[in-house]
Amino acid sequence: MLDDVIIPVADGLFEVGAEGVQLIGTHCTACQSVYFPRSLSCRNPDCRAKTVETTLLPREGTLVSYTVQRYRPPPLFRVDDWEPYAIGLVRLDYEQTLEVMGILSGVPLDAIRIGTRVRVVAHPLYDDERNTVMTYAFTANEVSA
Amino acid sequence: MSQTVYVLGAGAHPWGKWPNKTQLELALHALSGALGEADVSWNDVEAVVAASSRFEGGMGWGLHANEIVQAVAEKGMSCVNVGGACAAGAIAFHTAHAMIASGEHEVVCVVGAERMPKGFIPRPPGSQDDVTDEDYLRWVAMGATNPAYWAIEAHRRMHELGTSEETLARAAVLMRRNAVGNSLARFRTATQIDEVLASAMVADPLHLLQICPVSDGAAALVLGSEAWMKRNGGTGVKVAGCAIATGSFGDPARRIPTIASPVRDGVVHTSEVANAVAGAFAMAGMEPKDIDLLEMADNTAWHILAWPEQFGFFAPGESDVMLERGELDIGGRLPINPSGGFLSFGEATTAQAVLQICEVSWQLRGRAEGHQVPDARVGLTAVLGLGANGGSVLLSR
Repeated sequence: MLDDVIIPVADGLFEVGAEGVQLIGTHCTACQSVYFPRSLSCRNPDCRAKTVETTLLPREGTLVSYTVQRYRPPPLFRVDDWEPYAIGLVRLDYEQTLEVMGILSGVPLDAIRIGTRVRVVAHPLYDDERNTVMTYAFTANEVSA
Repeated sequence: MSQTVYVLGAGAHPWGKWPNKTQLELALHALSGALGEADVSWNDVEAVVAASSRFEGGMGWGLHANEIVQAVAEKGMSCVNVGGACAAGAIAFHTAHAMIASGEHEVVCVVGAERMPKGFIPRPPGSQDDVTDEDYLRWVAMGATNPAYWAIEAHRRMHELGTSEETLARAAVLMRRNAVGNSLARFRTATQIDEVLASAMVADPLHLLQICPVSDGAAALVLGSEAWMKRNGGTGVKVAGCAIATGSFGDPARRIPTIASPVRDGVVHTSEVANAVAGAFAMAGMEPKDIDLLEMADNTAWHILAWPEQFGFFAPGESDVMLERGELDIGGRLPINPSGGFLSFGEATTAQAVLQICEVSWQLRGRAEGHQVPDARVGLTAVLGLGANGGSVLLSR
């Protein structure tokens, strides 16, 4: 890592606060639905008010499913030192269910278990001219052997 | 007024890679076949509805119907070009059906023709490329390919319903076995479970032979009103139901290219397609037990197991048992994709849904040489397209 400044791969995707990394989403104060990434409106057809505001999403959740990508994705996915990696589907700890996809970081590919408790972290993708560009990812709260 | 619509004829160009033919040539080949089977001339055709492709043809504006008409029959007819990504063919069919059912026209052609680019499908120009653009985020933030989405669903099914790797492989084996007898299919050699499981792992648990590739192909239909058909002594297959739909809020599916979804209890999976299927059933006044064959979009082996359950044919997990007992084979209780499906054709996006309807029409006419479902009387199609587009057509004789 070239610098300790965290550069998100897309502005507005996540932020790093005192307590760690949080995804930036949208909360509808009328029907309590949450969306990620940020949404222009609320897509619940039963919600009439559609009063949305930017919110930080819960940092923890449960792994619902996953895959391991064995082939390198097209170049729009920029990453240094490519090797097969896992993408997980995580149900965040929130009253209204929101399932979010993200890279699984720091979990051995043969030790991934559905039901594992995970939390959001920053995950390095590639070094730019000055900084390390990061994405969000999920890592196991307790890595099992 | 509303009049009953019939499929008078169907035609297709074989699926494959056709570097020496243009998209327009493939379209004209398919249309020629459909007009021939219907015994209809261009002078009888009052409109063409085309599925718009973003890859080739259509003068760069998706004007595929106009391009066809300017090539073969300048006679003032109506041209409609519809978008719908991989479901565009079903939406074109639905549009053509409405043009006849409304009483506006008597004979309308439907066409989808595609030459696919090599490798991964490139992003279209004019994208936002920022945090508001999920098709950008899914690439830059995690590199999620289409197979990754389907693989996540397959793993979830294995975890929740106990589907085995062997059963997922068996679904691919079934598709390739069906295609052996279909001269339009691209991959026509049978395969075995061992061979499927030995093929390269693309996205766990999906292997190369369990994921549909992309192909070039074209399919076309001639639709006509009942009155026109009777006046002209033609034969046809009745359109008993046809519907298009979008998704429901809270759908648990991992919908490409989104990276997150609000999930609500009780919402059907892949709701855009399930909603369209429900619409086709409602229009026909039928239900799953009335169906003799299902032609559905098998982007992967997982779809072959999951979709019939989502449409109400089977209880969750029951598809595995049906597959293992041979009930999904030609001659079984619910033959799925007697054509060989996407796994044997490779997807030619805008043409695929039209081909599904061609296949069902041939099955009901007893013309599915080499892969005929015995005494097929009622068949259903189901397709999914980007943007939460679902389409379904129910034909009967």
